[in-house]
This record gives sequence, C-alpha cells and structure tokens, in this order.
Amino acid sequence: MVGTPVLFIVIPLLAAFIIPLTGMVWKNSIRIIPGIVLSYMLVLSVSLLWHITETGTVVEVIAGWKPPIGINLVFSPFSGFLATLMIFLGLLVWAYSYKFKRSIDSEPALKYFILLMLLVTGSVGIVLTGDIFNMFVFIEIVGISGYGLTSFYTRRDSAEAAFKYLFMGSIASTFLLLAIMIIYSQLGTLNIAEIADKMPMMDNKLKVISLIFFILAIGIEAEVFPLNGWAPDVYTQAPGPIGAAFAGIVVKSAIYASVRLVYTMFDLSGALDLFMILGLFTFIIAESTALRQERLKRMLAYSSIGQMGLVMIAFGIGTKEGVFAALFLIFNHAIIKSLLFFSGSYLVYNKKNKYIKHVNGMGKYLPITSVLFTIGAFAIIGLPPFAGFWSKLAILSAAADSKMIVLIAVILIVSILEAVYYLRVINRIYFFPKKESTEAQKPTINALIAMISLGIIIIVIGFYPDLITGILDRAATDLMDKTGYIKDILTINN
Amino acid sequence: MEKYLEILNYTIYGAAILLLLIGLYGALTKKSLIKIVLGLSIMDSGVHLLMIAIGYLKNGTAPIFSPGHENEMSKMVDPVPQALVLTAIVIGFGVTAVALALVIRLYKHHNTLRIDEIKNLKW
Repeated sequence: MVGTPVLFIVIPLLAAFIIPLTGMVWKNSIRIIPGIVLSYMLVLSVSLLWHITETGTVVEVIAGWKPPIGINLVFSPFSGFLATLMIFLGLLVWAYSYKFKRSIDSEPALKYFILLMLLVTGSVGIVLTGDIFNMFVFIEIVGISGYGLTSFYTRRDSAEAAFKYLFMGSIASTFLLLAIMIIYSQLGTLNIAEIADKMPMMDNKLKVISLIFFILAIGIEAEVFPLNGWAPDVYTQAPGPIGAAFAGIVVKSAIYASVRLVYTMFDLSGALDLFMILGLFTFIIAESTALRQERLKRMLAYSSIGQMGLVMIAFGIGTKEGVFAALFLIFNHAIIKSLLFFSGSYLVYNKKNKYIKHVNGMGKYLPITSVLFTIGAFAIIGLPPFAGFWSKLAILSAAADSKMIVLIAVILIVSILEAVYYLRVINRIYFFPKKESTEAQKPTINALIAMISLGIIIIVIGFYPDLITGILDRAATDLMDKTGYIKDILTINN
Repeated sequence: MEKYLEILNYTIYGAAILLLLIGLYGALTKKSLIKIVLGLSIMDSGVHLLMIAIGYLKNGTAPIFSPGHENEMSKMVDPVPQALVLTAIVIGFGVTAVALALVIRLYKHHNTLRIDEIKNLKW
C-alpha cells in the first residue's frame, strides 16, 4: 500500500473537523477516531518511506499546477523521516492521553483531540511542503492550535503562558511574512526549489536581511536562545502529554524549517556559523538554567531547549557526519524527552507547582514509572546501554573530524551539568523518604503502554543502533544534496 | 518635478513600514493587554500593505487574459501577493480572535488588564 503525501495533510485535517460531528452521535468516537487516523498515517508513512528507498523522492503536484507555479509536497528521505517520527509521536501522545478527562464531560476531551490533530497536521505540513508561503500557513496552524492547547486548563496560569506564546508567535509570523515578501519581490517565486535555484541572482544585502528575518521568526518557534522565553512557561502550564508533543513534534518542525532554509535555500557560507553560535548559546545557557530549576517540568523544558541547541550545533558543523549526528539527536530527543515528559507527569501528578521535591520516594510507590523515568534520564545524559549514547558519540566524532576541539570540550562539560541535574532527581526518587502528604497516582493502562513502548525503543536502539542508522544516513545524504532536491522538483513531469 | 513624483511612488512602502513600526512599538511598550493585541494587529496590517504594494503596478490591468488583450502581460498587476494577503488577513484575524479570548481569560483570572500586575510566571 503506497499512498501519496497529500494524505498526510488531508486525513488529519478532515478528522479534526469530523470528530465533533461523530461525537454528537457516539461520544467515544472523539477518543477513538484520532487513534485510527494516526495509526493509518503511520502505516502510510512507513510504507512510503520504504517505497522511496527504491524509487527516490516522491513529489506530489497539487491541483495539476506543476512546480514552480503550484504548491508541491515533497516526501524525500529527510522530510519523510521527520514526518514518520512526528506521526509516531502523535500516536503515542494519543495513546497516553486516551483516557484524558474521562471523568468529566466530553467537551474538554473533544477540544483536546481536535487541537492535537491540528497540531500534527500543521507540523507534518511544514515538513512536507515545498512552498514557502504554504509553510507559513502551516506554521500558523501549529501556532494557533499550540495556543489553544497551552491555555487548556482554566484553573492554572495557563492563559498567561499562552498569551506570552501568542505574543512571540505573532511577532514571529510578521517577520516571516516580511522575509517571504523580500524574497518574492526579488526572485518572483515562492517555490523552495526555485528560490534555491535562483538565489545567486539576489542582492547580497537583501539576502542577509531576509535570512535574519527568517532566523528571527523560526528561531522563536525552535526555542533558540534569546527568543525562547515562552517555552518553559508553555511546557509547565500545558497538559503533560502536550509537553511531549511540543518537544517531539512542534520544535522538530521548526528545526526542519530552519535547516531547509540554511542548507537548501540560502547559499551564504556564514549562515552555518550563525547556526553554530546560536546553538552554542542556547545549549550552554539552557543547560545551566536547568540546573537551577526547582520545578520538574520547567527543568525538563530547559533540558529540551538545551538539546535543541545541541542539534543546532550539530547542523552548524556542516559536514555530512554533522548532519547525521543532528538527525540522530533529533530522533533520540524525540523519543527520550517524550518518555521523560510522560513519566515525569505521573511522578508529580496533581501536585500544585510540581516541585522536584514531590518526587521524593516515588520509586517504591510507582516502580514502573520511576524505572522508565530513570531509563529516560540515563539515555538523555548519554550513558552507554541506551540510545542517547550513540547520538552523543556521533556529534563528538563529527566535531573531531572537523578539528573542533573546543567544541568537544564544551559539549562534554555541559553534559556533566546535564548529568548533575538528572541524577539529582533520580536520587530523590529512590533514596529520599516519601512525604506523608503526597499521594501517588497510578498510571492508566494506555499511558503505561505508551511509556513502555518508548522505553523499549530506547533500549533496543541502544543495543542495535544499526536499526536506525541506515535511514538516518539516507536522510543526511538527501539533505546535503541540494542540486538533487532542485532537480527532483523542477523537472517533475507527471 | 519628475523626481518628486518618483518619490511619491514609494510613499506606500514608507507608510507600510511606518505602520509596522507603530505596531511593534505599541506591542512592546504598552502595559494594557488590549493595546498589545491592537499593536500586534497594526503590525500585521503594515505587512499586508507592504505585500500589496509589492504586487501593485501603476495603471495596471486585471490579470486576466481576454481576447484581444493577449499581449498585455507586462501591464498586469501581479495577482500572487493579493492571493497571499487574503490568506494572511484571515490568519491575522484568527490570531487576533484567539488573543482576545486569552485576554478575557486573563481578566477573569487576575481581575486586571495591566501586564505588570500579571506575573505569576516569570516574564
């Protein structure tokens, strides 16, 4: 069964609009339909990913307008890999929150699942689209559903976090439109491949200006250092599984957009250095801020920002090994941080303010959740038998190949900080006495299934990294091959 | 005289950028949540005006190929920015609506619209 890329956008969008209608007839359908849709999409994308190893990139022309005039969707090894990863995480987030708000009435659950479907639609759309204005539209879809999900709980300070996110998000969208218009006024096209093809014709000053606007806009979504003020609050105030969705899905799509800009569209050599510098700032500042946090989710949020900094550093190295390491980090960060958010939410379940001290002694009362959190923490630090080790190794060896000794030192030193704050939490879980007042909340069956499957993936990839490196390698080659991307799209004739 | 008229052709760009800056100033410096939302909205309008200005052609015609006018392509107004601005206006409207809904929620929660009095989270 081989589908076409447009299904990845049409099906979840349709489902998001159909859920309220079917919900009027049969209440449970609002919980079940998203799962069916996401599993179908996962099957589709895995089979398509398999298919393109033989046939090469699939380019879909929308409405019969061939590129560069019409909008096209590109399912290449790189974008296909990210789309598959996002859909998989979307499925896990669904499984984790299947019983979400079951005890109350169906209306909050309805909104939750609609917004979740829209979030997945937008993120997958950003990754697949070959048109820059279309990308803007998808970024806005992600943004608006993100604001909705952040302000989900009416009793917390969630509206404050959501307003902060909205403020940053709408400034970002203005800058993005400006950058798109600068490019359109100079090159007369919105197609990414054609822009990349014509880019040498553009004036250098305007190129730099539009790149700066782009980085400003996408940097806000990708949690790059000076622009990430919204992120910790959003992670803290949003429902638990949505933290995983932000870390695993939304940020990944923003990183994709910025990488597509720097590697494919712009031919400025300094852009990679900019990436590297921004990444270093983000990495160092976020990880040292995480060390000072007293709330569990805020700590996880800063750790997530730090990991994205590491991804940017790896992309900034600019060699094929660097890109490979970055993709490996993206994969690992997606599965590990989701596991940490999933299990962490249960460790501080129903506690006001979610302080780290609330996890004291949970190892006895929530044994499985605690073990899973520990696996996640060890994996993200980069201890050997887990998946995180291989990605850390990959980025260090990529840096060593490029003779960036200082970079290796910085990464290793900051990794120690990372180890300190994660081990501190684990120490509290297992070796501190439990407070009398705190009550442990047992995870539901479906949440356990989601967490355990993530834990198994982390361990299996840790022992057999070859399972994933083939796909990553193809994706890295695909990203570096700029002329191939242009040729694939502009010479399509179906 | 010709020269000054030339400058007049660019006033629309100046106006667009002015709107953009007014909006940015309002969004960044005002303390009232409503004014911040207004600022964001004005900023959006500035970009929309800029988009239209880029596609506009003085004395241009509608971009339709009709019999007898096949060779007038150079006189046609570029339709793409107009299509884009339509999309962007709709998105901007949606974002403004969500923002105002959040402002209502914030007002119910904190009983104030002043942003410096709403600081349960670190700003």
